[in-house]
Amino acid sequence: MKEQVFRGLMVAVLLIIVLLPIYWMVAASLKSNLEITQQATLYPHAPSLDNYRRLFSEKQFGDYLTNSLVVTACSVALSLLIGTLAAYAIARFHLRFNLERTVGLSLLTLRIVPPVVILIPVYLLMLELRLLDTWLGLIITYTALNITFCVWMMESFFREIPADLEEAAMVDGDSRFTAFRRITLPLAAPGLAATAIFAVIVTFNEFLFALVLTATPRAMTMPRGTATLIGRIDTDWASMAAAGVIGALPIVLFALLVQRHLVRGLTLGAVK
Amino acid sequence: MSVLERLRSRERLQGAGLDAALPYLLLAPSILVTLIVLVYPLWDGLRASTQFYRYGKALRDVGLENYRRLWDDPQFLNSLWVTLRFVTASVAVETVLGLALALFCAREFRGIRLLRTVLIVPMVITPVVVAIVFRLIYASDAGMLTAFSEALGGSPVQILGDPNRAFIGLVALDVWEWTPLMFLILLAGLQSLPVEPFEAARVDGAGPWRVFVDHTLPMLRPVIAIAIVLRTIDAFGTFDQVFVLTRGGPGEATRLLSVFGYDTAFKFQQTGYAAALFLTMGLIILALALAAVRMLRRAGEP
Amino acid sequence: MNTRELLKRKLNRRKLLKAGAGMAFGSAFVSALAAPPIARAAGGKVIIGAFADGGLTPFKQKIIPLAKSEAGFDIQFLEDEYGVTLEKWFADAQNGAGQYDIYLLDDPWVPQFGAADVLEDLGAGGIDASDPDWIASLIAMGYWPPRQGPRVKGYEQATPKLISLPFVGDLQTLTYRNDVYANGAPATWDELIAKGKEGVAAGKIKYPIVFRGVSGNPIVTSWYPIFLSFGGQFFDDKWNVTFNSDAGKAAADYFVGTLKQNAPPGVVEFDSDQEGASILGGEAGAIIQYSGNALKADDPKQTKVAGKLDFGVVPKQEKAIAQIGIFIASVPKSAPNKANAIEFLKWYVSPATQAKLAEAGSIPVRRSAFGVKDPGNRLIPVALKQLDSGAEPRPRTPDWAKVEELLGIELNKALQAGSGGGAALDTAAGKVTSYLKDAGYYK
Repeated sequence: MKEQVFRGLMVAVLLIIVLLPIYWMVAASLKSNLEITQQATLYPHAPSLDNYRRLFSEKQFGDYLTNSLVVTACSVALSLLIGTLAAYAIARFHLRFNLERTVGLSLLTLRIVPPVVILIPVYLLMLELRLLDTWLGLIITYTALNITFCVWMMESFFREIPADLEEAAMVDGDSRFTAFRRITLPLAAPGLAATAIFAVIVTFNEFLFALVLTATPRAMTMPRGTATLIGRIDTDWASMAAAGVIGALPIVLFALLVQRHLVRGLTLGAVK
Repeated sequence: MSVLERLRSRERLQGAGLDAALPYLLLAPSILVTLIVLVYPLWDGLRASTQFYRYGKALRDVGLENYRRLWDDPQFLNSLWVTLRFVTASVAVETVLGLALALFCAREFRGIRLLRTVLIVPMVITPVVVAIVFRLIYASDAGMLTAFSEALGGSPVQILGDPNRAFIGLVALDVWEWTPLMFLILLAGLQSLPVEPFEAARVDGAGPWRVFVDHTLPMLRPVIAIAIVLRTIDAFGTFDQVFVLTRGGPGEATRLLSVFGYDTAFKFQQTGYAAALFLTMGLIILALALAAVRMLRRAGEP
Repeated sequence: MNTRELLKRKLNRRKLLKAGAGMAFGSAFVSALAAPPIARAAGGKVIIGAFADGGLTPFKQKIIPLAKSEAGFDIQFLEDEYGVTLEKWFADAQNGAGQYDIYLLDDPWVPQFGAADVLEDLGAGGIDASDPDWIASLIAMGYWPPRQGPRVKGYEQATPKLISLPFVGDLQTLTYRNDVYANGAPATWDELIAKGKEGVAAGKIKYPIVFRGVSGNPIVTSWYPIFLSFGGQFFDDKWNVTFNSDAGKAAADYFVGTLKQNAPPGVVEFDSDQEGASILGGEAGAIIQYSGNALKADDPKQTKVAGKLDFGVVPKQEKAIAQIGIFIASVPKSAPNKANAIEFLKWYVSPATQAKLAEAGSIPVRRSAFGVKDPGNRLIPVALKQLDSGAEPRPRTPDWAKVEELLGIELNKALQAGSGGGAALDTAAGKVTSYLKDAGYYK
């Protein structure tokens, strides 16, 4: 009984620690700037959606959202497709000079290097390709950044599936592709989902490259657009809070909807 | 089917023609994209790091001069020091808290599902927004801490104006954001442990603390180690949160390497110097990661 | 390597890379997703980049619609955070990315763009800068290299070109509470503090003064008018550091000592938002500020002390000099709608449009516009008074951002400690000198 009370208390404290900051942002987004800076109220006394309305009428949050959705969807799809093929090759074949091992290890090494290291040259590259401030520039960049961990994760999923199953199917007359599609792919589907979800979250949230590669609402993604409001000159706290809510809402909703797979994806690499 | 037949069929599957080329074809797109967008930039950055830039133009080749200057530059040394402190402090706190939480939640009870769901939120929220959340908490005029303090009759709370408190504030942000990940990894690790040794120990009359020290911790060590390595790598690259929360201030108290490098490259246009800085940073991380992997391997050997 | 070789190499590399990218993603995909080229609309599309600042509100609200209705300009106004605009625009201009037609720069950035030679010569574009209706000190800021004062190495002999056009004239002035300073604006810094203390004692305000203490541009900006008023000079004619002269040190000590003691405890982390909130919220007796918050001073929805705020010239020690910091418009050579942009600027700086700007509440850049019958803001005549009595821009060097950062870090540390302003200037002087030496200033 005592233990239960203790547990209940602990859970309550944890919930408060996690949720209170978020509550504060949501509350601020419903207040006016005057109320935020000069009355320091604990909850909105005259809640209004004006701040949100301004984001879509005066700022370009509609564009940011579209850009984010397009860029995230395309780059995750591409990196999953390309990465899965490579992961399959690495998991199933022995190549000359241990090529598949070399590729796998190189990708893992690239994953360790923080992306900020290649920030400047990627900027120059996109400039030369005339892809600054376009969807395509972001899609290519994010695809490459995602491939490293897509390969890594998918490879471990493929290794879990015994090659014998596929080979048995092929002996029974399936082509390699049919065997892959009928046997391996369905078995790897949960892994694919976990990888995709992880990639979606990382891509949607990416800020640094979006900061450098985009300049106008033509291609600015949600985090980048949100950051146009973080001013230190003339901080508009109310708009900033509203932007924070809008900026985070899609990805939080997404994560909560798919949370079972998400946890698997997040913890997978470590527990194996 | 006999063993011989099996072997022969396998040979046939990996045989000549298109099938032999297949694995290379499968690998090709990944290799191509990585070469263009990751490897080529690394090489390009290496080249830029040996140039002297002025007003955004490469003026002359300076060899390794940029790398040497780094170690005379108090601003670089300071950001390196701040980064190391930040990574150590955040990862240490997150590991301890995450482990404690995982042990606490290892047994199913009511409320655990809600807790798990809620704990996902901090780590999936956009990091830029996390920083906004914490600016709204820390701001001395409009912040949550000040509002609560004033509601209780106190005075405004200063966080971001004081170097030490701003640093702690940044670590607190990271802990809030990433402890849940530590927790989830360690929880998964805990739940994958075999049950028998624990039951045996309990039968032998060991108390919970002894069970933890003698059994749980040793068996969990590989998972803990990998979780620490993963978090350390990520923490090293932290940028968004500092950029929005403090932009490196006050003074240089929270200026991580990533932020200093960004400013050097884009604000002060010292492109070559910044490239040298970033590559040095990459090498430091790589060295740390390799050392960690080696230690893990050695620990894994009987 | 000469330019032609470089260009050739670039082209080849570009081709190569393009081929690679093309193979990877397929040309159909490329054409489907690459954003469409910007259409050159006949009505006159102009893409203006600006950093978010209250000083541009009248332009946004009144002049952009006017530009559409009166002259057919279709303005796309893109705001970003101050902290990223310099690097974004410089990269855009330098690399010819062509994302903007006009940047509304902060004026200290002009030398960096000038030295990189990435901006259109507006004089050649047909803009007349010799008209005596221009405020001389403002139009002077548009030239690179500067027509007066020291020039950085490599530009000693170059002919000054007009690469930027003053857009909104802004400078520091004093905002004070007329119930605390009943006899009008305090003439000296000591008077400002003394009367402010009386105001605190009487319960009218909480602090005599509030300023910006955040490291970098904010703290240097706040310290600057005090520095100038104490008689400081930042560089001599050869770019030797002189800000740590006795006058400069006295100003720094006064700033981190006396002023801090009379400011809120959190002033070290204050930026203009907190500064503005303090004066509008009725806590501060006086602040030195640019015009952003002045527009809110009479609006009871935005301030608790509407009607109690007045404007004046900054207090003096030796002199009463404020810092000029204007929005200054530049057209990058890579502007996609260059002709429209220059036509728009011509229309915008005409006395008629400038008068409308003044009526809308912004500080204009033409002398005639200061004389409109009904200026949209009480600050406007005060601004002219300050311009005529003493106002200086920041030193014209492309390295100002770094110099300001190095100085700002040391000033901020001293402000945290509440003492040691003079010593901080010596440390900063050492760092600035060594940085400028590396950059080739003293060879």
